[in-house]
Amino acid sequence: MSCKMRKITLPTLFAVLLAVSCNKVSPIGVLVAGTAVEDRVAMSELFYRNHLNDRVFLIADGDYTFLVGADSHITNDSARMDEMLETGLNDGDLFYAHLGDIADTKAEYYVTLDSLLQEAKSRYVEKNYTRVNTYEYVRNDSQEDTPARYLYDEIVYPFFPVVGNHDITRNGWALWSNIFHSSFYEIDVIVFLEDGEIAFDHLIFLDSASGTLGKRQIDLINQGILDGKYDDGTSQYRNTFVFSHTNIFRPQFFEFASTFTREETFFLLDQFEKWNVTCAFCGHVHTWDERNYNGVHYLTLDTMCEKNNPEPGDYLVRVHCDADGEVKWSPVHMDTRKRK
Amino acid sequence: MRKIVFALLASLSVSVAGAQTYSGSRAYDGVHRNVIDGTFLGGFNVVTGWFVGESGTYTRHLTGRWSVSAGEQVQLFKQLYSLDVMGTYRLPIGRTNLYFDGRLLFNRYDRWNVNEPIVNLSAFWETSYVDLRLGESLVRYHKIGVKEEYRSYTTTGYTEPLVMTFGLGVHIRPRSNPWNLGLFIRNFDQFYYENWNINWGVRFHASLKPEMKLYGEFNVRPAGSISQLATRYETSLKVGLHYVL
Repeated sequence: MSCKMRKITLPTLFAVLLAVSCNKVSPIGVLVAGTAVEDRVAMSELFYRNHLNDRVFLIADGDYTFLVGADSHITNDSARMDEMLETGLNDGDLFYAHLGDIADTKAEYYVTLDSLLQEAKSRYVEKNYTRVNTYEYVRNDSQEDTPARYLYDEIVYPFFPVVGNHDITRNGWALWSNIFHSSFYEIDVIVFLEDGEIAFDHLIFLDSASGTLGKRQIDLINQGILDGKYDDGTSQYRNTFVFSHTNIFRPQFFEFASTFTREETFFLLDQFEKWNVTCAFCGHVHTWDERNYNGVHYLTLDTMCEKNNPEPGDYLVRVHCDADGEVKWSPVHMDTRKRK
Repeated sequence: MRKIVFALLASLSVSVAGAQTYSGSRAYDGVHRNVIDGTFLGGFNVVTGWFVGESGTYTRHLTGRWSVSAGEQVQLFKQLYSLDVMGTYRLPIGRTNLYFDGRLLFNRYDRWNVNEPIVNLSAFWETSYVDLRLGESLVRYHKIGVKEEYRSYTTTGYTEPLVMTFGLGVHIRPRSNPWNLGLFIRNFDQFYYENWNINWGVRFHASLKPEMKLYGEFNVRPAGSISQLATRYETSLKVGLHYVL
């Protein structure tokens, strides 16, 4: 390289780096979305504070089950997503959890998703509620003499997703948050047992769509907002389930590895132990993996997206929580062709 | 080819010196067989907060081609303690040098009771203006002090099967110049190897005396990866002395 050439090339390299730093390529990372994890967690925190009185509780009578799916990547065809919601409804699952990358970012796909969820909620209400007047509904399984009445909008459709990296690119967060509002949240399951006792199970939904939790989310976790400890330090929860888009473990050597950094990986593994997590569910890598590390069970789910997995297969997981607290899981087969 | 394979195998069996922050030439200068690097570092990490620390490496040039080194690192507040040994074979190619490094590294993340042993094999090509490192690591971590009730049904360790090592650096002056300034981009640092997380920064060195150089680097380490929209994670500054005797 000639001396003149070097003089041109190296300042140019610096200049290009600085120039591209201003737009889609940032000095702190390579590609940057309109909304970073710090913004999403701040919005989630604000949403939580503004809706303290609307906090969602799920109620189970003894045994219950829930359904988990991952990476549906809805485009124009939402058949697999529809199949998941219908399976959950028909089989009486208490709730349905989704591990992120729910749609493939374009606005029209989120319109499809929203319509799908509206239809699914309508079927859910029809099955589980009775309309008592023009506006109000009561739960079919209510055992109260004067059952509580709900407006349609007050009925919570029990579909709880985490946000995935495909949900935040190209301003996807604006679309996603418009439907689901919060990306970092918790839900308690109140379980009524036969002997009149009550148990609490805990659902924790983490925002790992950026491949990292970010400072605010880590600070909130360190502050113990999700710990649920009694004054004597014991946990009030019987089972804790964590849902995260980004995986921690790599299913096989030729699959994508986790994007969590060293310290963040060890922080999460340690935190899951502190939370006494029964099972942590992850997605993102589109490959099945199961392992137990330090007393915590980790399930990484394959994608349910028909484009990625066109053949019928066991893409969903059903978790069975027995009244005695024992937890088992089983695969749930999907065969969209039967539905088409 | 046989020479290269032999060098790789031999470098594994010998111990070596680390992926030093010093960005001058690694080659034996024909006079000074002993090299000492000492570095102070400080920075901020979103998981652990502020941290300060030091690292030191001793390198012995056994011959013009072979060298061995050993290093240590302490990062206070992050509670990270590291030891490493490395063996290197240098293969001159024209005016450039190709180094084959075999490295054993042990990290103790005391905050989380995790030990992390790492084996890394890499090739480092050093030209006057550019350096490039490519290699592979076998990274394992395991939890210390697992509860007795877990032991019957759980694993306490995990091995990352393949972790690719990649690093690229450029300078504005020839490597032999008394001072230099450059940029680097890589997915590892002196004492860790990542899968995806690419850190980058600015580095320099300046000669204080013929046998002593001041060096340093400003390192930006984002979290996340390309498709996951990288986020601020760790920023650090290292300043050190490179002394030959």
